[in-house]
Amino acid sequence: MVQAASPPPLEPEKSAKRRRVSAPDTAEDEADQTTALGERSVRLARFYQGKVETVPKVPVRNLEDFALWYTPGIAAVARAIAADPDESFELTGRWNTIAIVTDGSRVLGLGDIGPRAALPVMEGKALLFRYLGGVDGVPIPINVASPEQFIETVERIAPAFGAINLEDIASPKCFRILEELAKKLPIPVWHDDQLGTAAASVAGYLNALELTGRSVAACQTVLLGAGAANIATARLLLALGHDPKRLTLVDHHGVLHAEREDVDELMIRNPWKYRLALATDGGGRTGQLRDALVGADVLIAASTPDPNTVQPAWIRTMARDPIVFALANPVPEIWPATARAAGAAIVATGRSDFPNQLNNSLVFPAVFRGILDARARSIPDEVVLVAARELAAQGRRSGLSADHLIPTMEEKDVFPHIAAAVAESAVKLGIARRKLGRSEFLELARSRMRRPVELAKALVRAGLTLPMPDERPARGKRGR
Amino acid sequence: MTASKGHSGETTRTGHDTTAPVHLRPATAADIAALAPLLVRLKRLNEEFDPLLKVRDDVEERAREVLTHDLANPKSIVLAAEGTGPDRAKIVGVVRAQVRERPFYAPTMEGVILDIYLLPLHRRHGVGEYLLSETTRLLKEHGAGIVTAEFPTQNEIAARFYAKRGFRPISALHARSI
Repeated sequence: MVQAASPPPLEPEKSAKRRRVSAPDTAEDEADQTTALGERSVRLARFYQGKVETVPKVPVRNLEDFALWYTPGIAAVARAIAADPDESFELTGRWNTIAIVTDGSRVLGLGDIGPRAALPVMEGKALLFRYLGGVDGVPIPINVASPEQFIETVERIAPAFGAINLEDIASPKCFRILEELAKKLPIPVWHDDQLGTAAASVAGYLNALELTGRSVAACQTVLLGAGAANIATARLLLALGHDPKRLTLVDHHGVLHAEREDVDELMIRNPWKYRLALATDGGGRTGQLRDALVGADVLIAASTPDPNTVQPAWIRTMARDPIVFALANPVPEIWPATARAAGAAIVATGRSDFPNQLNNSLVFPAVFRGILDARARSIPDEVVLVAARELAAQGRRSGLSADHLIPTMEEKDVFPHIAAAVAESAVKLGIARRKLGRSEFLELARSRMRRPVELAKALVRAGLTLPMPDERPARGKRGR
Repeated sequence: MTASKGHSGETTRTGHDTTAPVHLRPATAADIAALAPLLVRLKRLNEEFDPLLKVRDDVEERAREVLTHDLANPKSIVLAAEGTGPDRAKIVGVVRAQVRERPFYAPTMEGVILDIYLLPLHRRHGVGEYLLSETTRLLKEHGAGIVTAEFPTQNEIAARFYAKRGFRPISALHARSI
C-alpha cells in the first residue's frame, strides 16, 4: 500500500457537488451517475483514508491523569468487572460499542469480494451507526473459511461489545450464523440484510394496508425473491398473523411450494426456506410470478435489480388498489411510474429519490440505540416487530398518504421514538439489564443521537475535520 | 434417505400437524407412474450429498424399469404410502427393500432397505418410524435375520434416524472416480 505523506490535491468539481434528488431519466443516466459517484468516492477515500477514528471522551489535563484512566487506578475498575461481569456495561464503553462483522461473502451487489475489500463498506456502516444512532461501531471484516469459524470468531470477540451487527454475509449461511450467535451470546445479534430490511418492509406494509383498508389476516401477499430480506420478512409477516396459506414466496424457480423439485435440496442447504416452503405451500398458488400475482393484494419484491423483473401487465391482474414494493437496489424490479400506470395504488422502493423509501437505514440506528440503552441481552423478533410498528406509527403521525408511507430519513425525530419503543419492549420482555421508563429512554436516545451530529459540526468548525477537497469551503452554511 | 425425525428443518410451525400418518400398502404395476418420480426425488437429494451420486440423464425411465423389475421379483418389497384426509388415494411416499443372501455371515439372510422417501408435507414425527417398522416386519417375514439400510454417507439426517433406532455402521462403501 502506498502511503501519501500529505493528501493529494483534488480539483474542485462542480457537477458532483450535490446529490441528485430527481430520479434519472434513462438507464444511461443512471449508469453515468453511479460511475461519477464511484469515482468521487475513491478520490475522497484516498484523501481521508478512513471514515471514523477513535477520539478520547474523557479529559486528559496532563499525563498524571493516566493514573486514573490507566494503571494503577484502572485496576480497581477491572476488579469490579471481574466480580460482576455485567459491570462491563457500566464501567466501560461496552454498552455503546458494537462490532460490525462481515466475511465479505456478499458485499452490496458485488458478491464475494472478501474481508479486505469489505472494509470500506464496514467503515461506511460504522459512520452511519455513529452519525444516525450515536453508536460506536467497530468495523471487523474477518478472514474465515466456514460458518463455524465465523461463529467462533464472533463468540471470542463478544466480551468487548454491547451488540453485534452482522453485515454482507451470503444467504443461506447468514441465517445459520445469526441463529447460532443469537443463541450463544449474552448480547443482541442483528443481521441488517435480514432484519433491518424486513422491519422497514413490514412498517411500509402495515401502513399500506391501513391506507387501502386491508387487514393482515385477509391479505394475499406475494414475496418475490427468497434471500435474506424476504425470508425474514416472511417470518415477521407470519408472526404478525398473516395466514401462511395466503403467503406466496417466489424465486427464480417460480412459486415456492412443498412439492417443488428442489425442496429436498432446500431441506439440506437452506432449512429456513424449506420451512417456509412447507408452511406456505405456495400460499395457494403455483407456477411463476405472473400466476402468483393474479388477485394478490401485495407484492414485496426484494430480488433482481432489473426494472423488467415485474411486468405492468401482471400488476393489472392484482386485486383492487394493489400494493407494490420494488425494493431491489440500485434499480427497482419495476419503475414506480410504470407500476402506478398499471394501477398500483401504493408503490415503494429502496431508493431515496422516489417517494416511500423502505430502507434498513430507517431501522438499524434506532434499533441499536434502543437495545444498547436497555443493555438488552438479545433481540427477539417481537422487538423487531415493535420497531416496525413504531416506524409505521411515526409515519401515520406525520401524515399518512400514498406518497408518505413511512417517515423519510430527513424526519430525524422519529429515530429516538423507535429507539425508546425498542428499549421499552426489551424491558417488558425481561431481556433488559437496564430498566427505565419509555420517556426516560426517549430522552436518552435524543441526547445520544444529537451528540454525534454536534461533535461532527464542532470538529468541522474547529478545522479538525477537513472540508471535502473538491468543494469550495462554505462559510456559515454547510450540508443540507 | 429422508426420514421424519431428528431434523429441525422437517417440521413446520404452522398447519399440517393434525394430519394422520400415511397408509402403507404393497405397490402394484398401476402405481409405477406415481412411484418413479418419488424415487427420482430421493436420488436427486442423494446427489446433494456427493457428486459421485450424480443422477443420470435417463433416471426417470430407469426408475420405472427398476420398479417394474422389483414388482416381478419375489425377493423385493415395494410399498406405496398413501396420504390420508384430503390426500387420500394420493401416493405420497415409497419404500424399496430387498432380501439378500449373506454367503459368509450369519444370520444368513439380510433385509436391505434401499429407499425410503416421503413428500415433505407428510414428514412428521412417527411416520418415518412407522415406515421403518412395517418394512422391517415384512423383511422378517421374507426370512431376513438382519436389517440394513443404504444411504449416502454424508446424509446425517438418515444416519441420526437409524442410529436412534439401534442401527450402526457395519460396512463402508468408498468411492473415487476413475
